[in-house]
Amino acid sequence: MRRRSSLWLDVITYVVLVLAVLFALFPIYWTIATSFKTRVDSFAVPPKFFGFNVTFANYQRLFSDPSFVRIYLNTILVTAQATILAVGAGAFAAYALARSPRFHGRRPLEVALILLRAMPGVVLIVPLYQLAAKLGLLGQMPTLVVVYAVFALPFAIWIMTPFFVGIPVELEESAQIDGAHRLQIFGRVVLPLATPGLAATAILVALLQWNEFLVPVVLGSKKTETLPVYISGFISARTLDWGPMAAASSLAIIPIIIVTVLVQRRLISGLSAGALKD
Amino acid sequence: MTSDVVGEAPSGASPLRSAMTPSSSGTRRPRSSRLGAFTVPAWLLVIPLALVPLVMGVWLSLRDQTLGSPLPTNFVGLDNYRTDVWSPTFGQALFVTGMILVIGLAIQIPLGLLLAVLLERGIRGSRFLRSSLITPMLLTPVAVGLMWRFMFNSELGVINWGLSLLGIPGVDWLGTSPAAIFAVVIVDSWQAIPFVMLMILAGLSALPASPREAASVDGATAWQTFRSITLPMLMPVLLVTVMIRLIDGFKLFDVVFILTRGGPGTATQTVSMLDYNTAFTFLASSRAAAIGTVLAILTLPVYWLWVRASRGVE
Repeated sequence: MRRRSSLWLDVITYVVLVLAVLFALFPIYWTIATSFKTRVDSFAVPPKFFGFNVTFANYQRLFSDPSFVRIYLNTILVTAQATILAVGAGAFAAYALARSPRFHGRRPLEVALILLRAMPGVVLIVPLYQLAAKLGLLGQMPTLVVVYAVFALPFAIWIMTPFFVGIPVELEESAQIDGAHRLQIFGRVVLPLATPGLAATAILVALLQWNEFLVPVVLGSKKTETLPVYISGFISARTLDWGPMAAASSLAIIPIIIVTVLVQRRLISGLSAGALKD
Repeated sequence: MTSDVVGEAPSGASPLRSAMTPSSSGTRRPRSSRLGAFTVPAWLLVIPLALVPLVMGVWLSLRDQTLGSPLPTNFVGLDNYRTDVWSPTFGQALFVTGMILVIGLAIQIPLGLLLAVLLERGIRGSRFLRSSLITPMLLTPVAVGLMWRFMFNSELGVINWGLSLLGIPGVDWLGTSPAAIFAVVIVDSWQAIPFVMLMILAGLSALPASPREAASVDGATAWQTFRSITLPMLMPVLLVTVMIRLIDGFKLFDVVFILTRGGPGTATQTVSMLDYNTAFTFLASSRAAAIGTVLAILTLPVYWLWVRASRGVE
């Protein structure tokens, strides 16, 4: 009797999960497929799910434009720099939060980080625009880097903190007996042990930065244009260019899919450990 | 296999432990108060790039500045709050944001819970199914919005074509009023359900197995075990998940910007979208700053909610 009911449960489980997988993956398949279609095929009714003529013309068109190559490089550069800054600055704070229940200034930091995490980005971007304009910093790469970093900082700190909590405190105590300075202990004992956690955090933060749209669309310029800003341009100027639009979208999401497949276990442990306070 | 569904948590740290409360291993450390110096790099980012702009925003909201105008600005007191916050437009934006939050939660939490519970049964292929299901979560929202915009197209989109096979007439998804809200919720949910699922999987893997096993030995059905044992034990995690979804729903911007830009008319204009349009479409910097200041005040209760919710998952 029990066996039969669990067989039914298995069938239902598979049916529901497979339907959910189809819902999750179809839009991705459809975008990537469209990026390899000719203009005529991309408009075909009924839609051509398979068996269309594969063409690379959409990608050729994107890459024949030198500004697209620069945009792709900009995105990689700003992502890398902002990730290093956010994870670097965040690691110190995460260590302090993990190690001590009440150091000087703990509460203000917590309040600032939670509210920064919760506040809509546009609240800060309006005055930041005024500030950057006044200082002549609009459209500069370093401006984007620091603002990206501060927007990602709460996320970075909350993902990292549990990794520091997981490092046995005894190791640090014995180093302290040897007379090592607090900062030396952090650099020589704690950081090497926290490397896997820092790597997982860096990957997650880099994905956030790669996706960032509000900051570059407001504070960026033609010179510092990033991929999400370029992609958003399709909704006004190039509405019916579905092929290149799908190709540009694919170039934004395929790196993310590759990264998540390669380092999935890391990412999931980072997200589930960190997400509960992200 | 079941215990492995969420991957391993960092050794020694419960995945449910909150960073906001001190860890047991770190208490009573000598001279730990000196650790305050370690927060200096974080403050060096937060003070000039978050606190200063916030104060500037309040100052800006009391003036009559417009974007790019060379004219000197004047102090206007609370005028901007009267015209732009105490207004039907702002009220409607709050209502739209609330609708998206409520409909979104009603879809995302039950579906995320269902998928997590089914995955946790550990059937053959769970790992592959899980990988596939989480794929949408981390994708670029702008690209995601564009992908769906293309599928929602009323004449050539694949969604209306699918509906026509079922004999349902096509919907002008992004051009008519209630449909556009649902379109936004569908796209947001496509990315949020995997997140909810992952949170609940983490919660499930941290639950002790024995109460559930005992119930099943005593002859409880799967549904009874779920309702009276698993679900109550999951409540703290669900609370945190709901809180994070509320925060992210309140912040929703990229997807709306791409899908509808707040339209048709103002039918999907969320508070973030309204603030953005005021600042960068209508170039009314000071009025946007007033809206922004009120949005900042509206996020204050999150601190209290956060502390309460993270206490629950200890």
